[in-house]
Amino acid sequence: MKINISRQSIYLLVVSIFLLIFVFVFSFLVLIPEGQEYRVQRTKLKTGNSKLREYQNFHDETLEHLKKLQSENRNIITAFDTAFNLQRFEKKYRSYFSSLSISKQGVKSNEGEFKVYEVNTTSQINSPKSFYNFLEAVNKSDWIVGINFPINFIRDGELIKSSFTMKVYTQNQDTNKTKDLDISE
Amino acid sequence: MKYSYIKSRRKSILTPEFTLLLTFFSITIFMLLSTYSFLLYRDYSFIAQRKSMEMQRVVLNDSIDEMQESIRFIEVQSLLGERVYTQNSVLKESITNLFDLIPARITLSEATLLENGLILYGVTPNKDVYNFMLQAPLRSIFHKTYSSFYPTTNGWLKFVSTNYTQNEDMYISQEIEDED
Repeated sequence: MKINISRQSIYLLVVSIFLLIFVFVFSFLVLIPEGQEYRVQRTKLKTGNSKLREYQNFHDETLEHLKKLQSENRNIITAFDTAFNLQRFEKKYRSYFSSLSISKQGVKSNEGEFKVYEVNTTSQINSPKSFYNFLEAVNKSDWIVGINFPINFIRDGELIKSSFTMKVYTQNQDTNKTKDLDISE
Repeated sequence: MKYSYIKSRRKSILTPEFTLLLTFFSITIFMLLSTYSFLLYRDYSFIAQRKSMEMQRVVLNDSIDEMQESIRFIEVQSLLGERVYTQNSVLKESITNLFDLIPARITLSEATLLENGLILYGVTPNKDVYNFMLQAPLRSIFHKTYSSFYPTTNGWLKFVSTNYTQNEDMYISQEIEDED
């Protein structure tokens, strides 16, 4: 029995088989691995997105906390940042004393990130009440000033001569972190 | 269609069947290539987005670190500030109490407030007034009290009262030693 297949049909069959093989090879060796890679990349992107959202939320919470702290401690932050000025201090608090004389002794020590200046003070007061008022006022001053021991009161006629040292705290320039940070984002 | 015995019919490779086959495979290959291109583009896009997110994350992380450092610094400032303010307030209360402690019959000439003590100089009409009206309250405040008297020309007594508080830790260790 003779099978009669035309040349044209064989040609058609060969081309069909070749193209079919190409389609299968392309699909299994290129397209499907690329599809899997696509799914992996999509999953990674989703994970990254959720992590970024967490970071963003934490960033916003931290920023809010920082702003709250800054507003709550505005006076203290400004006070630490203000350089101590003898003349200004004397002018501001002279009214509490009959006479006031102060002298800066320079940097006494460094307490962590802060410089501590020692200021000697001699003054004359009419009554202890003036001193109480001074102590109250010094807590509202432009600087962080701590009255230090020893405090000496000597009766001088109708007046009381007092001498004491004050510690003035300012922050070191290299630790000026609160001002440098830009929180406008 | 015309048929001829002398002129052969021109045969083309593109038979209708072959054209159909080519069209079918062309469409299939076009779809496959389009899908592949789409996937390649999306992969590239995902990688680019991930890089951008990573950069954002680094920027956020740096910003968070800076803010946390600022928060720590403000808390240190706040603590130190509050400590100084409290010390000043306590000092004011201490001086108020000291001057309230001095009875009217005793006159002070000098007072020195130390970190752990108090030295008073003054005059008293007699020892009893001093002992009952000044030394008794001083004893209740300080752990150690020493007094010395010097007579004056008008019959009154000059006194020096030295008072010290014991360090809390020292006090406890001394108590333990005493118990032993």
